Amino acid sequence: MLIQLEDIKRYYKVGEEEVHALDGVSIAIEKGEWASVIGQSGSGKSTLMNVLGCLDTPTSGRYILNGKDVSGMSDNALADIRNQEIGFIFQTFQLLPRETAQANVELPLVYRGLRARERHERAAAALEKVGLGNRVHHRPNELSGGQRQRVAIARALVTEPSLLLADEPTGNLDSATGEEIIRLFEQLHAAGHTLVLVTHEPAIAARCPRAVRLMDGKVVSDGPGAQVALESRAERARASAAAAAL
Amino acid sequence: MNPSIELYEGGRIALGSLRANPLRTLLTVAAVGIGVATLLAIIAIVQGLNASFARQLASLGTSTLNISRTPQISIGPSWWMYRNRRQLTVPQMQAIANQSHYAAFVVPELNEESKDITSREQTASGVDVTGTLGDFQRIGGYEVTQGRFITDADSDNERFVIVLGSQVAEALFPNRSPVGESVRIDNRPYRVVGVLAAKGQLLGQSMDLVAFVPFRSFLSVYGKRDFQIDVAIDDRKDLDKTEDEITGILRRARNVPPDKPDDFSIFRAEQLADTYNSLTGALYGVAVAVGVITLIVGGIGIMNIMLVSVRERTREIGVRRALGARRRTIVIQFLLEASTVSALGGVIGTAVGLGLAKLVAALTSLTAAVQPLTVFAGVGFAALVGLVFGIWPAARAAQLDPVEALRHE
Repeated sequence: MLIQLEDIKRYYKVGEEEVHALDGVSIAIEKGEWASVIGQSGSGKSTLMNVLGCLDTPTSGRYILNGKDVSGMSDNALADIRNQEIGFIFQTFQLLPRETAQANVELPLVYRGLRARERHERAAAALEKVGLGNRVHHRPNELSGGQRQRVAIARALVTEPSLLLADEPTGNLDSATGEEIIRLFEQLHAAGHTLVLVTHEPAIAARCPRAVRLMDGKVVSDGPGAQVALESRAERARASAAAAAL
Repeated sequence: MNPSIELYEGGRIALGSLRANPLRTLLTVAAVGIGVATLLAIIAIVQGLNASFARQLASLGTSTLNISRTPQISIGPSWWMYRNRRQLTVPQMQAIANQSHYAAFVVPELNEESKDITSREQTASGVDVTGTLGDFQRIGGYEVTQGRFITDADSDNERFVIVLGSQVAEALFPNRSPVGESVRIDNRPYRVVGVLAAKGQLLGQSMDLVAFVPFRSFLSVYGKRDFQIDVAIDDRKDLDKTEDEITGILRRARNVPPDKPDDFSIFRAEQLADTYNSLTGALYGVAVAVGVITLIVGGIGIMNIMLVSVRERTREIGVRRALGARRRTIVIQFLLEASTVSALGGVIGTAVGLGLAKLVAALTSLTAAVQPLTVFAGVGFAALVGLVFGIWPAARAAQLDPVEALRHE
């Protein structure tokens, strides 16, 4: 078992009001699985992504990642866990604009404390893997959206993390480029990587073997991607019909 | 994370960020540079003054006592205490010469400041003319390059002869030897018998714009003026004893009742050094304070820029944190950036400051001297300012919540 979430709660104070962003979420994800987390905005999927990525700590509950209980870890320990266990892929790519593709991919290895030569080699290999072997010295503004997301994926892969965590990875891409990225994920899944993909699009959830649907901070369904995607579409249709009736 | 990689990467990021904003970097560097330059220029000039003063003081002779009617240095409105004092007289001087055990030489010194001396073609203005005796040459440490110094016989016979300081000789007789020539002071002719070697400057004043004439000759012309008595001793350890002895001799010679204070003043060159040190010490203090304030202003500039930098790079900080940077790594990155800017300012400021000091030294009579330590202190202090004023922005950067930082627009 790679990920084990047990009754995770994450409450925020917004002014006087307490927001239950996650309200007792329990999920287990096996090594090598590809799961998507789907939900409308405000469903708690971003908070879940932050907790899974050890960027945020739950108010209560237990989170065991790769055999380690990370729910009560210190800030430094969490930084190390992020570096060793997790590869992030963000909707807005989050590349450093002044650095080349190569330097961006090397960044997590810098924080791992690797020497320059090893960093270069591993970054070059990771860029090669995502099909950007000929773009290593380009800066983000010299690359297309799809290429930028590939650089980000290379950066996520370069540390050989146990979990790849993607937050709306196709959200800023046109459909053709988005399709390329999804195919790249399929390849990574086939190669044995564990992937968790956060999305609000049923079409993308449908491509994943498994999907978890969130609503109001709770898991409302968990099953094969195609099936959960259908539920999600129906839910969305109900919501828009209700909005139209008002 | 490996500390050496942490430092190397931090430095690389810092330089990258500085290069990315050249104008901003330039202005911040200038702010610190101006502070360091000001500080260094002032320190260089004060150190130069001190060094030249110390040299000059040594040439004045520290084993000399100067006895005068009123104190040479008096601080505060106390002149009225002294104005009724009687003048020193030649018999009183002779009493010291005859009775003192410690005095090696006793000579009178009658000064006329800022006189014009004229030759047939030229005038030398602002000359300090002193009427004295032959031994004054040894007390004052004067060397004669041409002719001779004045002698006691010149004085006894009231000869109107004169010895010129090097600057005076040059002004009056630019192309020939002055010895044997005639000059005039207040329309009275004097025959030049000697020229002195150059002594340089003391506190920016030329020591060579001087002339010496026999005491009695001078007394016959300017006799109503006060003169002072210079007493030189062989061993400066005896200064205190000599002072006590002379005080006794003079009180008797001047009939000072036992219950009254001394009606004369005894001055030592050491006191000049003390006064000088307290004056320049205050100047030094003020100058350093001004420099430090300038540096603090520069530091506030750095803090401001760093806060802007942290704000601009909030997302970058979020990305770095997400990828595994610890808080300490972020702190180091921003501290390095702040101290690099200010150290750069320190280096440039040091160069400019030393240049400025040299320029001042070249254009004015001030001298400039810089101890190597001062240079290191300047650069080091600038870097320290960067560190200190970088701490808060760096801490703010490190305290950012990664989730919030990644969301920052």
